[in-house]
Amino acid sequence: MTEDHSPAGGALDIVVFGEQLSLLPQRAVLWRARKMLIVADIHFGKAAAFRAGGIPVPHGTTRANLDALDAVIAAHAVRHIVFLGDFLHAKTARAPATLLALQRWRDSHPDLHLTLVRGNHDRHAGDPPLSLEVEVVDEPWRVGPLALCHHPQELPGAYALAGHVHPVVRLAVARDSLRLPCFIFGEKQATLPAFGAFTGGYEISGKQGEQWFVCTDDRVFAYPQPI
Amino acid sequence: MLRARSDGIGDDADTPRAAARSRSTPVERWFAAQGWKIFAFQRDTWQAAVRGESGLLHASTGSGKTYAVWFAALQHAVPALAKSGPLPVVDVPVAAKRAKAINQTGLRILWITPMRALAADTARALEAPLSALLPTWTIGSRTGDTSGSERARQLRSLPSTLITTPESLSLLLSQDDAAARFGTLDAIIVDEWHELMGSKRGVQTQLALARLRRWRPDLMVWGLSATLGNLQQSRDALLGEGRGVLVQGKTRKKILVDTLIPEHPSRFAWAGHLGLQMLPAVVIEIDGHASTLVFTNTRSQAELWYQNLLAARPDWAGLIALHHGSLDREVREWVELAIKNGQLKAVVCTSSLDLGVDFAPVERVLQIGSARGVARLLQRAGRSGHSPGRVSRVTLVPTNTLELLEAAGARHAVAAGQVEQRPVPDTPLDVLVQHLVTIALGGGFRSQELFDEVRTAYSYRALRPDQWQWALDFVARGGQSLIAYPEYQRVVPDADGVYRVPDAAIARRHRMSIGTIVSDASMQVQYLRGARIGTIEEGFIARLRAGDRFLFGGRMLEFVRVHEMTAYVRRATSGTGAVPRWQGGRMPLSSTLAHAVLDCLEEATHDDYSGPEMQAVKPLLALQQQWSALPTARKLVVEQLHSREGHHLFFYPFAGRLVHVGLAALISYRLAQRRAATFSIAVNDYGFELLSATPIDVADIFPASDMGGAMFSSENLLEDVIASLNATELTQRRFREIARISGLVFQGFPGQPKSTRQLQASASLFFEVFRKHDAGNLLLTQAQTEVLEQELELQRLRETLAELRSRSLQVCGITRATPFGFPLMVERFREKLSTEKLSDRVARMLQELEKAAAR
Repeated sequence: MTEDHSPAGGALDIVVFGEQLSLLPQRAVLWRARKMLIVADIHFGKAAAFRAGGIPVPHGTTRANLDALDAVIAAHAVRHIVFLGDFLHAKTARAPATLLALQRWRDSHPDLHLTLVRGNHDRHAGDPPLSLEVEVVDEPWRVGPLALCHHPQELPGAYALAGHVHPVVRLAVARDSLRLPCFIFGEKQATLPAFGAFTGGYEISGKQGEQWFVCTDDRVFAYPQPI
Repeated sequence: MLRARSDGIGDDADTPRAAARSRSTPVERWFAAQGWKIFAFQRDTWQAAVRGESGLLHASTGSGKTYAVWFAALQHAVPALAKSGPLPVVDVPVAAKRAKAINQTGLRILWITPMRALAADTARALEAPLSALLPTWTIGSRTGDTSGSERARQLRSLPSTLITTPESLSLLLSQDDAAARFGTLDAIIVDEWHELMGSKRGVQTQLALARLRRWRPDLMVWGLSATLGNLQQSRDALLGEGRGVLVQGKTRKKILVDTLIPEHPSRFAWAGHLGLQMLPAVVIEIDGHASTLVFTNTRSQAELWYQNLLAARPDWAGLIALHHGSLDREVREWVELAIKNGQLKAVVCTSSLDLGVDFAPVERVLQIGSARGVARLLQRAGRSGHSPGRVSRVTLVPTNTLELLEAAGARHAVAAGQVEQRPVPDTPLDVLVQHLVTIALGGGFRSQELFDEVRTAYSYRALRPDQWQWALDFVARGGQSLIAYPEYQRVVPDADGVYRVPDAAIARRHRMSIGTIVSDASMQVQYLRGARIGTIEEGFIARLRAGDRFLFGGRMLEFVRVHEMTAYVRRATSGTGAVPRWQGGRMPLSSTLAHAVLDCLEEATHDDYSGPEMQAVKPLLALQQQWSALPTARKLVVEQLHSREGHHLFFYPFAGRLVHVGLAALISYRLAQRRAATFSIAVNDYGFELLSATPIDVADIFPASDMGGAMFSSENLLEDVIASLNATELTQRRFREIARISGLVFQGFPGQPKSTRQLQASASLFFEVFRKHDAGNLLLTQAQTEVLEQELELQRLRETLAELRSRSLQVCGITRATPFGFPLMVERFREKLSTEKLSDRVARMLQELEKAAAR
């Protein structure tokens, strides 16, 4: 595993199993060779699900997610997006307004290839509507030397990329402290931060042989000592 | 329903005592039968009550308060008790006599207490006169501790008198037949109102009272309070502006404040020192008295003192105990009972024992370190001297030499009768949002009617229609009224415009989260064998590794593992370990006490050192005067020092820690506006220090032309303070409580269905989403207001700036730290003022981490 800081867009490139991956500050992985964008835990309709449960969350998070996708698609000429699970948050996430926004977005990118690797939320929420034209697969979904998954796991003969955990790291120096979304790269698997605009984070602690990369709004940084 | 008894109060008109009896009331006869005198203030209270008046009864320490208001309520509810002559005989059907448990009268009197632990003792006290005077009356309590079967019984019929907490009262108000259940209520007593009035629990109480007053317009309300600097406001907050009478209780006795003077007061005060050099003197004091309460300011300090007392006197094992809020309830209850029974020689405690039932055996109260405020000191003093003929005495145990100054100031303030004010929260919308759902459950509401009702609560007297509409939209539509969320359903108006909660799951979730006390995430600490010890903050546990030792509950423990939100431990055989630090704000020195200290310093400048404390601190003050000068209420002293660390400026406004944080940030921000600079800031209750790598030109801060006028200006204060401090992070922290109270964040419960877990998100996530997508959300505004008012004491900062502008200025160049400057210079916790971009900040922090790792 090697790394290299490409100044363009604050991304950071690393190589796993011979494939170069760019870690984007937008909390996603770009596989340039395949023009493939990999995002974890987007949780569409989470705000709507909260509202259906009587908890007032303002609208705008679906828009924010779609705008963020659009920005990355435009910047990197993305042809294929793989969602690593938890595409829809819950059954009640299928609110008409949410589905309409998704449909309009889909219609504006007719040539984009979309794949969903099912996650635990998708099992309750159900697959995306057929009209969104999302290819739906179960984990592990192998693409070249990579295995795209929702749950972190180790697999023989492949490097696994997963989500599910929503990892964040607490960066603390003296009295200053920040929680930052983070990518975890181990020897045989990596975990991506949650992409969704309305998703929380789970504070992780380090394991042997792990490398962390933290995101601010405009840059990805390598975290100096994993443990 | 009333019935006279034949045991001395009743009906036999022929006996010689009958004549006297016909001139006295049943209540007077009951007091006489106990051999008790009726105090004048008790009579005053009763007379007001018989006239139907509400009021507030206050006294700093004193006895007879409970019966003053209890009999006031009884005589209001049953007027015959206040009339001379025998009680009228009322035939009680035999069946009803047998079934005494079934209340015949409906709920008549409500007794609200801030502490559920007090409910049982209160019930005993209230019950005593009932069997003689009103034998058909029943008393019950309803708190978080009430059993399920008791709740079920209360569901059928409430007792004549119900003792409850603000939270349980709100819960009762959320039942849909609440109006009928409270329809027979005559009077409400609010105990320890001073404890509630400054908090959101007090606001919750205000709203409940507003509700009950609407159902019962003649409802009588009496509050019990300690003495405060703003008693009028306290009364207004309870009873409505300008309503009700103030009655001063009988102050039992004089309060004695004195100080344990260290044998060799050092000339340098070391902040954070735990003052264990006073241990031998404290041991002697405890030894000389039957029972002593040793108050500390923090739980970790309590743990340390307990441990050290035991080490000094191993023979006291079993005779001294530890009491603080993180210990398990059973442990605390055991300790309280043991004090009451006189089994304990000493208890090391925190504010957890500020309130509560009288501990008659306690002879002595020691206060380790500064009490920070006069009211608190009086409260603690009042925990001693309950036996007849004894005085209430509190002895201050300074933990550093400068605290001798505070002790002197405290004595002055107590002698002069100066007590702090307690501010009442202003229009907290989170509590209102919770209340709207509660009332929607409790029978429903119409918008205009509830708006009018809520405005009768003091904290909402200035509630604007637009704020009301916002809160209503928030619960009814999920946000601003312009946006439609068809999926949103929490509170929904029916065809008649009555708002109700249609969904049973939402109703259940709301009832489970009623209340305004928000505690930090904490973990149970439990022995492997099973006994619970208490709770510790998650953050502390997270840093422990298996085998690590820590001091908790007065024992050295060894951490084993965490399993399902419980930290398992075993006894450690020996050795030392960390002491958990609990979060929770350290209270700043109160303005009242700070000004009393400045007065003492003023006297010192005239060479007037009266009292043992001032005598003891004299060498320190003399040195301060020799090297620099003494700050007073008329003079601000600023010291300038160059050291290896850089350029220091020390200021001594004596305005309390929080104001100094704001002041230091404000001045460095205003300085940095003129010339780029980075400051490291240290504060304590007496002053603050600015440290800079580059020289600070004092003439820059205090040009001869305006002597600090611009630096201390109140102009643009709000903007400058927000810009100078990391206001967003402070606000985000504050938002946790607001999110919880307003029902955004729901704390899960064991065995919750998966569907609830999908609705859980953290307060900081809500904060982010609101900031990005609903910036006009008034709960965000509230969080910022709370930060400014409570965490930065903006009003006090404003007053301090005005004072500073009127003070003369003395700038002293010094060659080494003065006695006042030294504690600031060695303060390890420093704030940094910087205006970095997030990426720059992260880059710098990572660099610092790397440096540290390389070392």
